[in-house]
Amino acid sequence: MNTDPPFWNPILESLPIEKVRQLQLKKFKSIFRWAYEHSKFHRKIYDDAGINPGDIHAFDDIRRVPTLEKSMMRDIQRKAPFPYGHALCVPLEDVAIFRQTSGTTGQPVYQPDTWQDWEWWMECWSYILWAQGYRPRDRVFIPFGYNIFVAFWAGHYAAEKIGCEVIPGGALDTKARILKIEELQATAMMGTPTYILGMAETARNKMGIDPSELTINKITCAGECGASIPSTKKRLEDAWKAKVFDHAGATEIGAWSFECQEQPGGMHVNEAFFLVEIADVETGQIITEPGRRGKMIITALDRQAQPCVRFDSKDVIEWADESCPCGRTSRLIKGGVIGRADDITKVKGVLLAPSAIEEVVRGIDGLGDEYEVIVDKVGDTDRIKLKVEVLPEAQDQCRLVEDELADQLRLKTNLRYDIEICGCETLPRYEAKAKRFKDLRKKD
Amino acid sequence: MKSKIDLKQIVSKIQLMKSTAEELSRLGQNFPALARNNVRILVSLKMMEINICDLMDLYQEK
Repeated sequence: MNTDPPFWNPILESLPIEKVRQLQLKKFKSIFRWAYEHSKFHRKIYDDAGINPGDIHAFDDIRRVPTLEKSMMRDIQRKAPFPYGHALCVPLEDVAIFRQTSGTTGQPVYQPDTWQDWEWWMECWSYILWAQGYRPRDRVFIPFGYNIFVAFWAGHYAAEKIGCEVIPGGALDTKARILKIEELQATAMMGTPTYILGMAETARNKMGIDPSELTINKITCAGECGASIPSTKKRLEDAWKAKVFDHAGATEIGAWSFECQEQPGGMHVNEAFFLVEIADVETGQIITEPGRRGKMIITALDRQAQPCVRFDSKDVIEWADESCPCGRTSRLIKGGVIGRADDITKVKGVLLAPSAIEEVVRGIDGLGDEYEVIVDKVGDTDRIKLKVEVLPEAQDQCRLVEDELADQLRLKTNLRYDIEICGCETLPRYEAKAKRFKDLRKKD
Repeated sequence: MKSKIDLKQIVSKIQLMKSTAEELSRLGQNFPALARNNVRILVSLKMMEINICDLMDLYQEK
């Protein structure tokens, strides 16, 4: 009989939602006061907006606090106190760890953390891993390049903290990592969906190893939406014969959400550690009801060195209307992170989310895992080019596969595509965050 | 399971540990091996506060 406690924190994770709201309000007041009193950067923004910590009495007051954007951090960094600038809320000598954002959307933002902040990162990840079934008997292989990006660093230390045996697969190449998983009979691993799919491809096509026959039984994904896209999740789970769980986090925020073992079609928000609000992309009005998409405004309620207070993450999410059968009282976001507000764009007058294309491509059996989308203009008309790979075993049905792809795309996205069938393994492969969507119109 | 959690006693023990660790901070000012290891202990205690002590009032009201 499995006697493991189901929750990492049995009190907090079953706290009635109205109590969670009380806790969030109390913590918001505290972190807002902390940022106001310890950072010239934050104080100026709040003073300019005419709000100070004494003005926060109820939840509605929180919405008066101005949101912060990544570009604002870029403007103040690389200056004294070097290199973080005036968003830093602790003495420089208390900073224990440097990380930076990946720079996907522009100049990287530096992120300082104290030992307390770093322990907090691990704590957030401990909630994630416990909810996904990681236990002390697990042997966890972590195949990422341990470096300046936070990626799975906190996942590594959280796995250690909850008692797992951790194998750091850092400087090994993909083949060596697969052999090490086989040699040590690892039971779990973490990676981006792109890389985990790529590992399976390498194992099958270049090493003659069937990854589903290895001992991995659970995989935690992050860095991309893939593990919440049903067709990508299915490919991952089929390839490795493992449960695949999604998780979302960010360098400047923390590890704020996770899918639990129930795989409820969404991710829990760790609401005791983060306050998540959803704002209408056009009007900025806060959306409280389920089923309406908007961009996430998030506050990390306990992070101190460089606070994250009402940060406009540009992640597009929506509340689910049902609670999770796992018993956690924290709310779910339906379908995980749907995309980034920057990437969800109008093409031929139709709103297009790149994740919808991925769902179609990876739902068609004859196609490989990789694809590339290029949006440009021919004259005044938008054009979408989609490059895909047909698997060797489906080469004789190329035409049928292409027709099915075009039909499904039209059905799911209401758009027509110029489809280009590429040779096997000719599209770029990625080890970290993939860049498969290119909107060349933005250069105009 | 919830009935087995004696939150009051847990919180009391955490507070005792914290006051002990803070006392060690004062004693370890010229003793890096004590002071720096104690920083780690204080940080772990902070996580216990976030996880447990901060919930004391809310839990009692349940």
